[in-house]
Amino acid sequence: MKVVTGVVGNDIHVVANRLIDISLQERGFTVFNLGVNTYLEEFIDAVIETDADVLLVSSLNGEAEGWCRDLGILKSKFDLSGVVFMIGGNLSVGEVSTEEIIPKFQNYGFDLVSHQSDLNEGLDELEALLKERL
Amino acid sequence: MSKILIDIGSTYFKVSQDEGIAQYFRNFERNIYDDFQSRCGDLLSRYAKEDVHICSSANGGLSTLIIGLTHSFSLKYATNIAYNAGINIIDTVLYSHIHEYTPPQEQIDVVIIVGGIDGVKNIFDDTLLDYLKQINFHNIVYVGSDKSHSFMQENLENILILDNIINPKLQVRGEELKNFLTNLYQQDITGKEDIKHLYEFTSNQIYSTPYIVNRSMGMMHKTFEVADPFILIDIGGATTDIHYSRDLVVDNIVSESEYDRLVFKKLGVFKSRDSLVFSAKNNEFVYELLEFLNVTENILEEHSDNATKILMQLSIFLVLYKTSLHHNLYINLQLEKLNSIIFTGGITKVLQFEEVEMIVKFFCKKLLHFHQIPSLIIDDEYKIWTLGIKGSSHVS
Repeated sequence: MKVVTGVVGNDIHVVANRLIDISLQERGFTVFNLGVNTYLEEFIDAVIETDADVLLVSSLNGEAEGWCRDLGILKSKFDLSGVVFMIGGNLSVGEVSTEEIIPKFQNYGFDLVSHQSDLNEGLDELEALLKERL
Repeated sequence: MSKILIDIGSTYFKVSQDEGIAQYFRNFERNIYDDFQSRCGDLLSRYAKEDVHICSSANGGLSTLIIGLTHSFSLKYATNIAYNAGINIIDTVLYSHIHEYTPPQEQIDVVIIVGGIDGVKNIFDDTLLDYLKQINFHNIVYVGSDKSHSFMQENLENILILDNIINPKLQVRGEELKNFLTNLYQQDITGKEDIKHLYEFTSNQIYSTPYIVNRSMGMMHKTFEVADPFILIDIGGATTDIHYSRDLVVDNIVSESEYDRLVFKKLGVFKSRDSLVFSAKNNEFVYELLEFLNVTENILEEHSDNATKILMQLSIFLVLYKTSLHHNLYINLQLEKLNSIIFTGGITKVLQFEEVEMIVKFFCKKLLHFHQIPSLIIDDEYKIWTLGIKGSSHVS
């Protein structure tokens, strides 16, 4: 399965990005890593060019709320119905509870939201969802 | 025996020998071959064919329409490759929204279709074919996913299929398309009937002038006091070319070439004067610039030496404007980083240093909000062209 990944917005957490890339490859995914400082439009475009099954956006500096709120608009412009949209990392600035964060990002159009949780747990969730969809 | 180097421009012939450079204004009543023969025939008879090196920019420039899957990858990569090959982009079409685009009415030299990494299926369908039926084009090339090869071959007569310009890692792989476009450009110039006849004078390949000028970019420091990063603007009768260091480009494309070039087909002051005037009249800053130059817009309709000077000054402004962040249609250069600008071509015979400086000052102040300007170098002895063509004469 093909996964497009990268760090959204003005965020340069390259180590986390690399760890996600390696972990995904270890699990057998074909990874297209767009790296840090990536705009949402580029993520969507990469999904289209590669016909990816999953878009996994990461954000570590807590600014994902600002960068991802147009996901719904972008999704509506293309037929991306078969794609799993996932976001993970540190998704807020300051103290905000996971219960508050998850619905917000689901509302933006993400199928899976992983806030301040372990990377492997998040990827387990992703694999479970993909299995379910098959 | 020494060599003779010749540049066939749309407005002037330039001839360089050991004694120096001579230039001859074109007689437009005659075709290039006859005109050239009458002026330089005797001179050329003194040289062996292998010592004659010719380049030409007469009527140069090809137009392309690019149809791609996304702005961030296929369109961006193809646009970049086309610019590097000296091609003008007429339009880019986002395939998913192709029905929203009005097909261009003008003749397109080459249509480029691109999209998807290899292995991606079902990208293009009849929508593409319907759109292409409305376009008048000479060449068509496909550089996208291998899974669409059969669709293209079955439905589009004479389509050329080249390597996908997007590699399996989603990075650009443009060598084959770039070579194709460069050759097409070269053929367009040297394949013109007039130019073909010039092979009677030389046994060497006739190159395009922008190619020759671009060759000299890496050698510029030997001849001029130029500071990196710099751009070179070649303003001629039919086209205006800009050659720039890749340090001025912000993109995620890794390119082997240190210097790229962009040819503005319609910004010349003689053969494409009308389109230059049209372009000027539609520019938001030009009226202010004319006022700054102490002239009115009526000057654009005049045919005088002063009008030619003003048009040349406008070309400088327009080419800087069109590559700045204020204009998104062409490449965006980080002009605020510029340390030097070199001017070459016919412009150097018409404008004084101060007249060029005025325009650059206006541009820097108005668009970059700078009071200081890069160092300016005027190549009024065509040293750049000589440098490039001498380089090519060593390799051929």
